[in-house]
Amino acid sequence: MTDQPGGRDPATTSTDDDGTEPDARYTFANERTFLAWSRTSLALVVGGLAIAQLLPPFPGIPWGRHVIGTPLILLGCAVSVISYLEWKASQRALRHGQPLPRSRLPQILAIAIMVIGLIAAALALLSAVGVP
Amino acid sequence: MSPPTGETPAGKEPAGKEPADDIEYADPGLARERTELAWTRTAIGFAALGAAVLRYRPVAGLLVLVLSAVVWRLGRLPGTAGAGAVRDRRLLLITVTTVGVSVVALVLSFLGPGIVPLR
Repeated sequence: MTDQPGGRDPATTSTDDDGTEPDARYTFANERTFLAWSRTSLALVVGGLAIAQLLPPFPGIPWGRHVIGTPLILLGCAVSVISYLEWKASQRALRHGQPLPRSRLPQILAIAIMVIGLIAAALALLSAVGVP
Repeated sequence: MSPPTGETPAGKEPAGKEPADDIEYADPGLARERTELAWTRTAIGFAALGAAVLRYRPVAGLLVLVLSAVVWRLGRLPGTAGAGAVRDRRLLLITVTTVGVSVVALVLSFLGPGIVPLR
């Protein structure tokens, strides 16, 4: 590909790793994927904070909100860091013309949200039944 | 993209050899535009987070709001294609900020007003 928007800057292309500059569209797509995961992580942090701050406490379980909110915030933190590492790995693969590494984030996110959802369901049931 | 019309099955073309009717091929600037929009959405996400924090910690909230403006601006800087190290630092800024905000959110969720203290 010769038509690259923005062009190349030889002074800055050989900084962190070798390989050749990939098609700019792939670079942009990789960046958009990272940004999408970043928004996901931001939403998780906002959601965790809102649960901890705004949700009325579970009757009989005053710590219940933190049990849901804190894992959500930590999950958002983890998604942010992992998405950056995966962006870096993908960019490296693009520069070397190798197949893209498989993203582990969907699995992590699905399992974590399932666990947090189960905890939330258990808390809702416990507070409805009434904790001794 | 466009559905396969010829004899080549979709997804079988080697990378970088899109059919000529692919609009991306005619105008690669669309990818840049989509990426700018993605930056804008991310900035809006930061702004929402800043507004949420602003209610309980005005200084931290204002800081995040300022950062959301910075993020919006970062997506619009020229020369986004190519400069690997610059891009790296921009994206790292987002990750570092999100981690920092997460720490603030954790502290807030335990120390914020209206919270029943842990016993």
